[in-house]
Amino acid sequence: MAARGQRLAFLERIALTRDRRRVAYAFLAAVLLFVIGELVHPGFARFQSVTAVLTIASFVGLVAAGQTFVVLIGGIDLSVPWVLNGAAILLVTTSLGQDDRALYSLAVTLGMGAAVGVVNGVAIAFVGVPAVVMTLAMNGIMEGLTLGLSGGLTCGACASYAPPLVANAVHGSLLGIPAALYLWLVVIAVVSVVLSFTTFGRKTYAIGNNMRVSYLAGVNVRLVTVLLYMLSGIFAALAGILLVGFGGQASLGMGDPYLFQSIAAVVIGGVYMLGGRGHYLGTAAGAVTLVALVSVLLAMNMPDYGRNIIYGIVILLLLLLYGREEVES
Amino acid sequence: MSTEAIAEPRRGRAIHFFRQNIGLVLVFVMLAAAVVLYCVVYWMQLQTLPGNFEITSTVNNTMPLVLVAMGQAIVVLARGLDLSVGGVMDLTNALAAVLLHDNLASMVGWSLVILLIGAGLGLINGLLVAVGRLQPILVTLATLAVYQGLAIRVLPQPGGAVPPSYTAALVDPNQPFALVYVVLLGLLWSAFRRSNLGVSIVAVGNDEQSARANGVAVIPTRILAFTLSGMLAAAAGLFLAATATAGDATTGNGYTLTSIVAVVLGGMSLFGGRGSAVGVIAGAFLTTMIVNVLFFSQIDPLYQSFYEGLFLVIAVVLSTMIGLLLRRRH
Amino acid sequence: MRPRELAGGSDPPAIEGVGLAKAFGGVQALDNASFSAATGEVHALVGENGAGKSTLIKLLGGRLHPDAGEIRVGGSKVALAGPHAAHDLGIWTVFQELTLFPWMTVAENLLLRREPRGALGLIHRGRMAEEADSILAGLEIRAIDPRALIDDLPLAQRQIIEIVRVIIQDPGTLLLDEPTSSLGEHEVDWLFKLIHDLRGRGKCIVFTSHRWNEITNIADRITIFRNGTETGTFTEIDESKAVTLMTGRRVEAFYPPIPPLPDSPAMLEARGVTGEGLQDVSLTLHAGEILGIGGLAGHGHRELFLYLFGAQPGAAGEISVNGAPAHIRNPREAVRRGIALVPEDRKTEGLLLPMSVKVNLTLPIVSQRLASLGLIHAAGERRVANDMIRQLQIRTPGLNATAGQLSGGNQQKVLLGRWLIADSRILLLYDVTRGVDIATKHEIYELVARLAGEGRALLFYSSDAEELAHLCHRVLVMREGRIAAELPSRGITAEDIVAAAVRESVVH
Repeated sequence: MAARGQRLAFLERIALTRDRRRVAYAFLAAVLLFVIGELVHPGFARFQSVTAVLTIASFVGLVAAGQTFVVLIGGIDLSVPWVLNGAAILLVTTSLGQDDRALYSLAVTLGMGAAVGVVNGVAIAFVGVPAVVMTLAMNGIMEGLTLGLSGGLTCGACASYAPPLVANAVHGSLLGIPAALYLWLVVIAVVSVVLSFTTFGRKTYAIGNNMRVSYLAGVNVRLVTVLLYMLSGIFAALAGILLVGFGGQASLGMGDPYLFQSIAAVVIGGVYMLGGRGHYLGTAAGAVTLVALVSVLLAMNMPDYGRNIIYGIVILLLLLLYGREEVES
Repeated sequence: MSTEAIAEPRRGRAIHFFRQNIGLVLVFVMLAAAVVLYCVVYWMQLQTLPGNFEITSTVNNTMPLVLVAMGQAIVVLARGLDLSVGGVMDLTNALAAVLLHDNLASMVGWSLVILLIGAGLGLINGLLVAVGRLQPILVTLATLAVYQGLAIRVLPQPGGAVPPSYTAALVDPNQPFALVYVVLLGLLWSAFRRSNLGVSIVAVGNDEQSARANGVAVIPTRILAFTLSGMLAAAAGLFLAATATAGDATTGNGYTLTSIVAVVLGGMSLFGGRGSAVGVIAGAFLTTMIVNVLFFSQIDPLYQSFYEGLFLVIAVVLSTMIGLLLRRRH
Repeated sequence: MRPRELAGGSDPPAIEGVGLAKAFGGVQALDNASFSAATGEVHALVGENGAGKSTLIKLLGGRLHPDAGEIRVGGSKVALAGPHAAHDLGIWTVFQELTLFPWMTVAENLLLRREPRGALGLIHRGRMAEEADSILAGLEIRAIDPRALIDDLPLAQRQIIEIVRVIIQDPGTLLLDEPTSSLGEHEVDWLFKLIHDLRGRGKCIVFTSHRWNEITNIADRITIFRNGTETGTFTEIDESKAVTLMTGRRVEAFYPPIPPLPDSPAMLEARGVTGEGLQDVSLTLHAGEILGIGGLAGHGHRELFLYLFGAQPGAAGEISVNGAPAHIRNPREAVRRGIALVPEDRKTEGLLLPMSVKVNLTLPIVSQRLASLGLIHAAGERRVANDMIRQLQIRTPGLNATAGQLSGGNQQKVLLGRWLIADSRILLLYDVTRGVDIATKHEIYELVARLAGEGRALLFYSSDAEELAHLCHRVLVMREGRIAAELPSRGITAEDIVAAAVRESVVH
């Protein structure tokens, strides 16, 4: 007991607060997985293979960025799957695969994500609908709208491709590193700066720690809440845009895996589900860990069911690792 | 006991019930309205009222949701959430399709075993949450993946077969006998709510600290709540197998979120500590009714989710506002 | 030092603590403390916040284990493994923090784990309501409906239920920690009658309180605590001697002189505030004035303060700030107009405990003054925060220490510092010295006096009538949501304030 106390005191002194330790653990887990992957399937940790994993992780990471924002105030966004899917379909149908319409359709698509987020945020902050319920309902609403308006993806424009501008942005590479990854790095930098160094980030953490205190200190709790859900919607839409740029065409159900993965990434990254603690850096590491895990399992030729089971067990193990830390503080 | 000592007029029992159970009242009102609406659109389509067949199939199709939503309600009451119920349903559905053979011993025996397995799956959740001190939403998200994986292992492709006599016993396709099960569940709930465990679960959901201070064994209570949820989800899986007459390791997936919808519509707060599973049963039927209404009003089925989502929001907003109005009056 | 033992009567004391010690973190809450209460006695524990009263109650009730010393019940030593062990010995405690279930009914709360059963061993709801009815009737409680939800009851009634819940366990020794803090006048009367009855039946009652008139009213013996140990046990004592024993200083020297009230304009005016328990409240606050608000807890003070800060949606009235009408719809607008609120509960309403002292200090103004284009000026923020820490002598391991690590007094200083950084000219201080140690209290009094001297306007609510009497230019006493009396500047005593709080009119 005393030894553990001493160890903690040492770690605290070198500024590795509990939150930063979690980020470190998440990165360590990711690295460990690459090592295991290399052992199991030599060549797994090759540069190209690593960047491929990171690129896929960037899509999860983008959705998880939005999820991070809302989880930091103790909320959650369950509407991510169909905002993403809707955005992908909206992009191809408004751009019809043409570059001269690209900017317009990007604006419309991101605007859609923002609008959905604002509606979520307003219902949650002003009307008092619980986040789980509102975003769940919104997911259904977006699913219905997307399916209905696109005729189940049978409309004429639906088979269009993403504009080359977007496709190239995703596929292009510089120095062997995919452009999508650069984009994610930029996002990581921007989101981290916003959360750690701006007044908006300060208010977000304050609200997540104690909404009442923040209210009584003059923070505009409702506005910040709406903005955070808006950001989540924008990021989900952005992920949809990049995914359809990556894959070429839109499909139905492409957003479904991202709900679980975005939440899992947030959790593994050490962001506290009840709000007020955590960094996007951790979430990013969590996203990499998740995708690396799936890749390792694929490399091991593990069948479908085995992947699911191991996936769940690994997450539980990671949770238990953090869970114990929760108790000792 | 003398009532003369009580000088102030007491509010009637009915008024108390009404004020404290507004969500329950509301869901039955909505259910009644939905049934009426259903009859109206059915008439407009087919110039006749829904008959035995429609009632039977509605009841049979709702049975799995009723069961899984009840399990969810118990966990929610203890201030938790069980996202793994869909996975439990997948697994038990698959097991039923594979294990049940056409003789009484096999059907009864394996059914009991499957219920126990469901309880065990719930027990795992409960241990992780209560003893491991992890957030329910996170634990059950992970176990969902594990249970889904196990289901696929048991039944990689849709198949297997459920004996017709099993189907007849659970979800008789000719008569809405399954209503008997619904009534039974209602009675069981009433008994549960008046048992030590039921009261403990409500106490823990109200305020964990106070529960501990009052000598309620918080950890075992939580564990039991999740165990019951697992068992009810297993029962839901059995009914699902009976309805579908074959197995599919993925049909349970949608039930996770739908069970939460039924709980919310049933007037239960997601923060726990209050609400009735009777309302949740009504909420389950309400969910199915909405689908029926949408179907018969010839709305483009692609838009179905839209209306369901819209309905959920409106129902919750309405009930929140009515609740606020009542408190303001008081 | 040998633990001291107190002389008892011929019977062994109902409950005793001998040489008890208890420390939390680095703070010694109890240090070689001894205490003894007899059967058939009402014994009051008195002392400042932090003197050790609550800790003693928790030890005697089995909620905490002593680091040293022993507890004796009926003369025999006991080791209480937990509250259940204490219950088995007939020792029951009613704490200040309520342990009720808000969404369960009064009956369900009262009869938890002792519900009447019917068929199949299941709880019989009808009989439960009847039994609760008869319990309440037997204790002459008429105003509480056993079928009501706890959440629907006002705080005073909830406290009553908390007390009733323990009473029906038929305790031999009843420990009450601040039982009257949330009670109104009628409820206090009821409680004292109950205590009187229990004493008559040979029970032992120990309670802590801050309210002198209550203590002298009901207690047979009074034990005064200071700095973690007892300073004396008395059957009779006059107040000023008691205060001296409690604080270790003479009363007069304890409060700083307050600057005279200049002839100044009104900075804050409220007219006709009604709603949420308030009834047509009007007041005027001038620059340089310390306006006291007094009265028993639960009579509208909290709602009034929240309303003036824009945080009480259900109330309505007219407000003018510096002569101009103002429509303050939320705290943000209040802050913009230079109004500040130090709220009732600093831990749940005032501070972000897991966040740093620096963040807590700058929260209201970080956007307006310490950032450009949203980016926070780290160096500037540190400088502003450090200045304030120095100015108020806030004892903290550092800027980045979390607010939760600080002692109560320093936490309060952080709250005050926040509003000084925000340069608020109108300060609404709600029970600002509650739970604060004596030395810091003195510092806060001096700060309050200084702020008034600078021309700021202070609205000062305190549950301690002494503070009001010594620190304020005027005192408005609230009762049942309205201003019941206004006591002028000269010669107010604590008795006057308390009298006004319990009577409709005061003869002055």
